[in-house]
Amino acid sequence: MFGRILLLVATLGIFHAAFSTYEHLSYLKALERPEGSLPPDIVVETLLSLVLGIIGACLNAPPLKEITWSSEMRKHKIDDMDSRLGFASYVNRGKRIFSTSNVSSKLQ
Amino acid sequence: MSNVQGALAKLASYRAKNTRESRQTFETGLLVLKSGKTSGLGDEEWSFYEQLILSALDIGRIDVADQCLTKLSVKFPESPRVDVLNGIRMEATESPEKVLAYYDHLMKIDPANVSAWRRRVSVLRRLGRLDKAVEELNELLDTVYTDSEGWLELADMYSLCNQYPSALQALSHALLLSPQNPFTFLQFAETAYTSGDLPLALKMYLVVIEMNDSEDADAIPLGISVRAWWGAKLCTRQLVLSSSYHGSPSNTPVPKNLALLDELATERVLTAYSGEKGVQTRSLVSGWMSGR
Repeated sequence: MFGRILLLVATLGIFHAAFSTYEHLSYLKALERPEGSLPPDIVVETLLSLVLGIIGACLNAPPLKEITWSSEMRKHKIDDMDSRLGFASYVNRGKRIFSTSNVSSKLQ
Repeated sequence: MSNVQGALAKLASYRAKNTRESRQTFETGLLVLKSGKTSGLGDEEWSFYEQLILSALDIGRIDVADQCLTKLSVKFPESPRVDVLNGIRMEATESPEKVLAYYDHLMKIDPANVSAWRRRVSVLRRLGRLDKAVEELNELLDTVYTDSEGWLELADMYSLCNQYPSALQALSHALLLSPQNPFTFLQFAETAYTSGDLPLALKMYLVVIEMNDSEDADAIPLGISVRAWWGAKLCTRQLVLSSSYHGSPSNTPVPKNLALLDELATERVLTAYSGEKGVQTRSLVSGWMSGR
């Protein structure tokens, strides 16, 4: 949450700095001295937005996953790894065990 | 509704892990289907239908399967994947000869349709014609070597007929294809133990334990480590008791520090039963360990 706020503030800061630069350059063009330097506060705003953006992106990152195979394999169960679904037979006792007529006869 | 969201997340995890919990999948999927929110799923909608069809057929709800199958056929009219699903649906009601003829027809149209070939093998196995099934599966695996599921299925079929050396061969191909998977090593170790090749079984059990290593050496073993330590204990116990072992069929040497391994395996198995869940059975286990 905090990371997202920081990221939002940083984005707004960057856009604001960009817009200010554009305004400043058009101001300089109007005064016919296009080689003037950028005012320092815009530079400071840009750099500050960059730093805040980096911090916000780091805080906003999704939780880290493990990289070793063994940690990944520890999450699996034998039934899942051996299920061989491509060869599974879908004609089995399930039809008889789970059919609704069985359920109603049990409830009587 | 967060109910539907939770259901969708559960179904997605089932798809990713290849779980075959058909009743749970069906009930969750039916919930999503009845809520009518299936159109908002995007591309996931079609794999959701496929999953629901398979689980519905598994528990005998053919009406729901037909409903989803019509939706899929409307969307993907000429797809081989939908054709194979159609075949599976036919398996539930039609005679096996008709189904085999249908799969033959699919393979004639498109010789590269491996799923239709796999379904043929599955139907042949279900009918009891194991010799034909093994023959066809061998052909399939000659053509498509990288089918890891196929090698596991072949090993299962050989084990069913007690032909353990052939099963071990098939499992070794599966091991080549997925060398990071400890479950295949465990199956290899257990097949070797069943066929009487104790040193090979012990070696493979130790490989499983090594693969499943956690950083803390004194931690309670969990998951397949318990099974692997049990296997190691069984092997070392028999090897220690029979001082002259008459050679393993695969010429695997017996490890040098057998007595130490035996002690270690005993200690690890007993530790596995010292957690809060295992404490009740611990007395049984230690009784077995010290007896005989």
